Amino acid sequence: MSQLTRLRSCLPAAVLGLLLLLLGCDRPTGNGTSGANPPGPATSPGQVTTIGVAFESLMTEFWVAAFDKLKADCAARGITMLEAVADGDTARQFDQVKNFLNRGVDGVIIVPKDGKTVIPMIKACNAAGVPVVLYNRPADPTDARHTAVAPDNVAITKETVTYLVSLARKTGRKQKAMILMGDLSDVNAIGRRDGFEAAIQEAGDAVEVVSRVPTDWNQEKALAGLQSSLQAHPDIGLIFASSDFMFPSIKSVLSSLGRWKKHNEPGHVIVGGFDGDATAYQLLADGYVDATGVQDVYWEAEQALQVILDAKAGKAVPARIDDKGFAITQSNLKELEPRMWGAVVAKKK
Amino acid sequence: MTTHPSNAARLTKDIVGSEYFVLFLCLAVFLAFAPFTPGFASRGNVANVLVACLPLLVLATGQTLVLITAGIDLSVTAVIGLGSVVGSLVMGGDAGWLRGSPLATPMAVAAMLGTGALVGCLNGLCIAWLRMPAFMVTLTSMMFCSGLAVWLARQAVHAESIYNLPPAFLALGHPGGLGALLVALAVLVAHLLLTRTLVGRWFYAVGHNPRASLVSGVPVAGVIVGAYVLSGLFASMASILLTARLETGSPNHGKTLLLDVIGAAVIGGTSLFGGKGRVLWSVYGVLFLTLLGNGLNLVNVSDFLITIIKGGVILIAALLDVWRSRIVRGS
Repeated sequence: MSQLTRLRSCLPAAVLGLLLLLLGCDRPTGNGTSGANPPGPATSPGQVTTIGVAFESLMTEFWVAAFDKLKADCAARGITMLEAVADGDTARQFDQVKNFLNRGVDGVIIVPKDGKTVIPMIKACNAAGVPVVLYNRPADPTDARHTAVAPDNVAITKETVTYLVSLARKTGRKQKAMILMGDLSDVNAIGRRDGFEAAIQEAGDAVEVVSRVPTDWNQEKALAGLQSSLQAHPDIGLIFASSDFMFPSIKSVLSSLGRWKKHNEPGHVIVGGFDGDATAYQLLADGYVDATGVQDVYWEAEQALQVILDAKAGKAVPARIDDKGFAITQSNLKELEPRMWGAVVAKKK
Repeated sequence: MTTHPSNAARLTKDIVGSEYFVLFLCLAVFLAFAPFTPGFASRGNVANVLVACLPLLVLATGQTLVLITAGIDLSVTAVIGLGSVVGSLVMGGDAGWLRGSPLATPMAVAAMLGTGALVGCLNGLCIAWLRMPAFMVTLTSMMFCSGLAVWLARQAVHAESIYNLPPAFLALGHPGGLGALLVALAVLVAHLLLTRTLVGRWFYAVGHNPRASLVSGVPVAGVIVGAYVLSGLFASMASILLTARLETGSPNHGKTLLLDVIGAAVIGGTSLFGGKGRVLWSVYGVLFLTLLGNGLNLVNVSDFLITIIKGGVILIAALLDVWRSRIVRGS
């Protein structure tokens, strides 16, 4: 009986030990990227067969469009794309990236939550000898090797807001303005805020910023912030959203106040944004939105994939690739529409 | 044909009714994934699985202690965020109160553990002395701690993330580092507390029947407060691991872990109604959930589907628990 009891008490240790033993039995694989005992499928040098794509979120049209473009490009090149979405959880994203590396991917593309928490992930890729690209959100200064493909947020926002200010000036009176900011731990949000402030500084007396609302890239927070700002300043005449996904919130609040008007109607509130998504395109086409900064999601995706291919082929890759983007407005909509990714998505719908 | 039906039924009953059932499931998950999943059986992946499961392991251990007393602690993920911000504000490179001091890391760790213990103590006091429902108390403390963490970070650094933490602290997050050792020690201590001490028996007694326990001389209120304090302390340990690993203090760390924490304990076999559970069972639950997530991720199942599968598994575990209880009672 006592022997049976002893056997029973040893069982969990035995099974756990067996499990770890089995787990620890490295199979001889390798793509030449991870040192003495590399995992993953065997590939010839320079060949890219599998890449890992880790997105922080797929909450907006922009991220979905980017994800779909990467998937399509990988499929077209015969590359297997491993996918992961972290739902804003940086620890989870770190695990996902490590999973990719254990799987033996030939490259990793990351959309990080912010520029700092991604640095350990880049270092993990560096340690495994796997090229890594940060898509749309660059890292904070670091000596970890990577390439960032990202928009020039400051320049594109400044161009967009300068156009909005020119509309404000045409009204003949000083307009009260507000900005819906993003998550200020995200360099994109900081860049867009800085671009807004730079344009406002040059605007002189045309506008006065009365509200700066932090939204953390959260639509509910954007809605609540808008409501509060418009309650405190009912005569706000210019609203800039740091991302187009906030347009539905703006529409909702302005509609409830009877101020959701087209650009050629009296009482119109000047509205601008950033991204160039399908909703923005539709609202521009319908005349409710005046301008939005467009980043070229498709071009950025192509560049990200090309960097992986070049790095694997042994070519030198840059540390930063800028998406110059452009501002699409009521004045140039027809001309620039074919270059706006949101217009392409909207027309597919 | 060689096995008599009653023998087969007995074998099924033995396996399903066994306290090592989830451990067998871990083995089954491994055997199911290993042949088809490149990299799954690599040493790197072993390390990844073990390191990835540490925060969940320590959280599930604390949750197990609370569940055994028939409580629940929903505030653990918010304690992670609050502890992360408090610790980072003590030691952080740019705005930390003790930045540059050799005391920065030990004081920050003490502050993080103290934060967790304090929140746990307040939870326990409200539940034990004010007789408030554990669900309500810990839900509100979750909201309070989450808000406080964001507010503190914004007041101090005008952002939600605090960077430039000292290298001595970051070393706690290294695989196989002191942090991992402390977690293993904490889990072992919790296991021994429950299985080898009088206090452990008090935990089960309070979970089974608090009124009878009180009559029998068990310090019911003290046990409940103790369970929540330990849960808060263990959540702080998870906070230390996550903050060090990600090299950033943030109120958002661990926000998505709650389902996994409760799920791991329930999958292991800890009862949501109290009086039943073991730390070792939760270890199996954590291992199972982590292996499952890791395997699905490696075979390129989408994360939305992984969440659905995990939710389904937890539901099945809860149903199995009912079934196993019936089988055990029947035999």
